[in-house]
Amino acid sequence: MPDNRTATVMLVDDEVMVATALRSFLELETAWCVLTFSDPLQALEALRSEHADVIVSDFMMPGIDGVTFLRQSREIQPLATRILLTGYGDKTNAIRAINEAGLYYYLQKPWDNEQLRMVIRNGIERATLFRELDERVGELDGAHSELQQLRRKLIRTFL
Amino acid sequence: MTDDRLTEAVNAARLATLGTLVAGVAHELNTPLGAINSNHDVLRRALSRLQNILADDVVDETELAEVRRIVRALDDIMVVNDLAVERLNQLVFSLRSFGRPDRAERDFVDIHEGIESALAILGHELKGRIEIVRAYDELPRIECFPHELNQVFMNLLVNASQAIPGRGTITIRTRRGDDEVLVEVEDSGSGVAPEHLDRIFEPGFTTRGSRISMGLGLAIARQIVDRHTGRINVRSAPGAGTTFAVWLPVRLGTHHTNGNR
Repeated sequence: MPDNRTATVMLVDDEVMVATALRSFLELETAWCVLTFSDPLQALEALRSEHADVIVSDFMMPGIDGVTFLRQSREIQPLATRILLTGYGDKTNAIRAINEAGLYYYLQKPWDNEQLRMVIRNGIERATLFRELDERVGELDGAHSELQQLRRKLIRTFL
Repeated sequence: MTDDRLTEAVNAARLATLGTLVAGVAHELNTPLGAINSNHDVLRRALSRLQNILADDVVDETELAEVRRIVRALDDIMVVNDLAVERLNQLVFSLRSFGRPDRAERDFVDIHEGIESALAILGHELKGRIEIVRAYDELPRIECFPHELNQVFMNLLVNASQAIPGRGTITIRTRRGDDEVLVEVEDSGSGVAPEHLDRIFEPGFTTRGSRISMGLGLAIARQIVDRHTGRINVRSAPGAGTTFAVWLPVRLGTHHTNGNR
């Protein structure tokens, strides 16, 4: 997806300086709508009403950790792309994140802005494709259901 | 354990603590440094955009909107850099306060300062997992060897943190007595079995692994408290957490420096 189409990126990090630094970069270099949260529970609440294409989360946060947050966000918005941005480079949590939260990418702090932008852009494209696929499947489901009704009607009328 | 073996093991434990400390500090540096690093990149990009806009000496409406956008980003960057620099300063202050190379000899100090610097250094170990509750009394400055006492606080806090398997609370209480002060470190962990309590200050005793350096934190704490002519004890019950209590005299005696320094 080109950078000029409005997509929404949610950034969750209890360190305000990290969330703000990421937002400054993305707002300067992209046209994406950027939402920042320092409390993962508030971010979950927001996901019930706000649409997000990509969710980027820290790992170690008070309240709930990043993997739990991403897993719960998956239940609310299953088609959003989930990325973990963490200072804890441990394999156990990376594997946990991939298995439990359906993680798309695992980035380590300190991050590289250009790499981060590329990963988020690919994540937006992925979420968009999934949504389009979802819509197409929905349309097919609708058409299939119409055909079934028509078939039942035909059977009732002529047999 | 012979004296030589004990000294060797104590030194190994100190090195292990130092390793943990360095890893923790490196982690603490990561957040402010990551923010400054990103902001530096954004500044370079912002400058390049401004130079492009000003290249023809004409600023049209679209460019003006772009300049305003850049200024907003720069504004955010300044706020974040202020926070990051303040965090780095605090970290350096905590490290200096903890190590106290200038105060390796006896001195009158506020022990809350030592507890806080140990907490700051352990930040990464506790963050997001353990809530710290402070119940501090007003304490007089006590005569002590500050860098040694800081080691006691560090060891008790590391021990408390490791005693809590998932999330939990560490409560730090201080109280003023007649001629002594009390520091208590209570964890909400799984507690210690009665048969282990008697051995908890023994060098090399640990319920968390076989490496000898892991079982020396409390032995070193007791050694240091003894040298300060203080007392340290523990109370615990399985499932009810553990509390370490350290009494320290406000004024040191004269015989405390005879130990292995």
